[in-house]
Amino acid sequence: MDHLFEIKLTAPWKDQEKREEQLKEFQELLKELWPEVRRRHLFPEIPMPRFDNNHGPVAMEIRNKQIILNLDYIKAMSTILPPSTVLEALLDHGISHYTCCPWDLSTHLRFYARAKEMLGEGDLARKATDIFMDIVADTHAVKERQSSLPLLYKSGVRTGLEELICSLYQRIWGVDLGCPEEDETVSRLATIPYLDKRRWMASLTRFIRGIRPLLEDSDSSIPDEHTRMGQHGFQQYAPEEIEQALRGFAVEAKSPEQFADVLEDLQNQLEVINEDANEGMGHGAGKPVDANRLYYMKLAENYALPLRKKEMKGSGYLHPHSHRPWEVCQPFQDLDPWCSFGKYLPGITQVWERREGQIYGKTEKTPNCLVIIDSSGSMIDPRNHLSYAVLGGGCAADTYLRHDATVAVYNFSDALAGGRELLPFTRSRSLIYKVLCRYFGGGTALDLDEVIGVAEESEADIFLITDMQITNLDQTICRFSRLQNRVTAVHVGNKSGALRFIKGSVKNQNISVFGVNSSNDIPRIVLGSVRNYLAAK
Amino acid sequence: MFNPFEDFKDFLAKVRGLPLDQLAAAHDQVIAELASGYGKLVEQELKSLVWFVEHNRVIEAYKTATEVIQDIGYDAHSIEDFCYVLDSGSDIPYLISGPAGIYVAALCNHTSEDQIVLRLGEMQRTLHFLGYRLPHGKSLRIEGDAGNFTGSALQGGEITVTGSTGDWTGAGMTDGKITIHEHCGRNTGEWMQGGEIWVGNRIRGLGRMTAGRIYQGGEPVAGDTIG
Repeated sequence: MDHLFEIKLTAPWKDQEKREEQLKEFQELLKELWPEVRRRHLFPEIPMPRFDNNHGPVAMEIRNKQIILNLDYIKAMSTILPPSTVLEALLDHGISHYTCCPWDLSTHLRFYARAKEMLGEGDLARKATDIFMDIVADTHAVKERQSSLPLLYKSGVRTGLEELICSLYQRIWGVDLGCPEEDETVSRLATIPYLDKRRWMASLTRFIRGIRPLLEDSDSSIPDEHTRMGQHGFQQYAPEEIEQALRGFAVEAKSPEQFADVLEDLQNQLEVINEDANEGMGHGAGKPVDANRLYYMKLAENYALPLRKKEMKGSGYLHPHSHRPWEVCQPFQDLDPWCSFGKYLPGITQVWERREGQIYGKTEKTPNCLVIIDSSGSMIDPRNHLSYAVLGGGCAADTYLRHDATVAVYNFSDALAGGRELLPFTRSRSLIYKVLCRYFGGGTALDLDEVIGVAEESEADIFLITDMQITNLDQTICRFSRLQNRVTAVHVGNKSGALRFIKGSVKNQNISVFGVNSSNDIPRIVLGSVRNYLAAK
Repeated sequence: MFNPFEDFKDFLAKVRGLPLDQLAAAHDQVIAELASGYGKLVEQELKSLVWFVEHNRVIEAYKTATEVIQDIGYDAHSIEDFCYVLDSGSDIPYLISGPAGIYVAALCNHTSEDQIVLRLGEMQRTLHFLGYRLPHGKSLRIEGDAGNFTGSALQGGEITVTGSTGDWTGAGMTDGKITIHEHCGRNTGEWMQGGEIWVGNRIRGLGRMTAGRIYQGGEPVAGDTIG
């Protein structure tokens, strides 16, 4: 079966003490080799590798940037090669994953998404991605870091797939690895420019096309640990890196579905921060992260909107300004014991002198925001396609949250018939996106009494995003124009209602209307709306 | 004076040359030459904005394609990669299915390999005229779908399509065998003078054939054995 199982048979570990001794020997060797290997790789910032004392079928794995070496594998290979050669080769491989390919989670995710798109199955995609990254990392190590990897690949028994990869290495490295003459697949794969980073996606596509029959061949029974280097899962990345990669992937994903599909596959391995976590205690099993919500959250993080704070009246509060010595005739309430050496003595004890602040009569503050989003049947379903309404609403909500304000969301379809959801003012980003991503898909009517009530009571800014195909549009314009609140209205598309809304609100100073005609406009319009609004003031 | 970068000095010179460098560069060169050849064909053929499928025009296009590829050293994998370059439209500004298919057919017919596999399942568009004039002794396996006029004027070669083909499949073929695993379109076997067409599923319409046989799902539906 697998060569590693054979290794187990030839090198059994019966004596625990002997095992401990071996471990110490290898640890000493590792201490000697590690600085030199790091030097060859130009001193990458990764922690000292460690040995895994468990029996495992693969040579190494990487977790949180740390290379974990399999003691059994190294011991077994040490009967064929010098231990230092085995260790160096494994370290070269591991470090090359860190310094060359995939380099970061963003690249890894892109590879996986492309592979999944081509192969359909998550397992196959993971295998194809791992093998491709192994080839790139190994080739990089051999070409640029004088690695002893060829010696490692030359030794030991090989599985079917490993045989193919070794044949490929033999061809592209120009080193005799004892493989038979190359076959059709190898000549296909040998012309791929593995080390050209700019063409990695195209190279991966060609690679998968070449290797696909082998991967899909059910008789070949490729095990999970399909090569001696094993799987390179997504556990190796830090939480900050995951956040950053998801932001990037949200932009690159072809649709919310693709994002959700990939995330679903990797949910167990990627430790995505669940923003529901701090919403209080309770019972019941944890829910997986809603991928659609996460998609819009990550996508919106790519846009930072400027927002000027609203002018409000100052309080005229007298603030402590400076110290002066306390005299016996003065009151005690302004004493500052912290600056008085702990004594109550005239001339030594300090007292606060209060002055009125230099204010201009008005201070700036960010009002709260009521996001009103249309999710009627005429709007795009955010689960299947990128909804610019949800994205725009998310960007606006994020902006207010960043300015320490709170956000309420009113998601409506036919509100009068019950198709509405109102989220009260909150700072929970997760809840906000949950309501934003809800899709009713029915008719379109606003419950104006409810909306106006919330707006008047809170004095919040209103951000309305809709296609303006609202049945009670005239009443909406009329009621909005009477409000004191700032209203930013964005219409998606150029339907007849949009023109009516523009005409109806043109005289109102508190309403700014912006349109979206092409797919990429929403984020810009949202940015523009704030800027234009400020300019208008 | 102490050089703080002393440790790094010897690293710069130790980059090792691998055969991969030459293999990848040679492949890129071949693809560039194939693209250039296609450009010449299009220049020659595209006098107007529309390319009509006329008998003489097809023959003329094939002749031009044969001439432009004469000096290019390529293999079957390069043909497949070139198809994807055509499809991506990044290096070649326009893909015209007719001339592009004739060009690919000419490449298949003149490669030194007898067995050609084109994995075209990932392509966004389909190419017409694939397998045009495929000579005796050569086999072409297309994994994915093919467009119209697949295997037209077939001259003894064997074509297998794992997906479906468009209209006019095997039009004017004189000898050889076309196997389609899925469906094929209208006018299948039009002007067919010999050979066999095997279709796994639906045939949308049969053409007027002179000789040869057409099978659907293993059963003969037209040709010498019928009526």
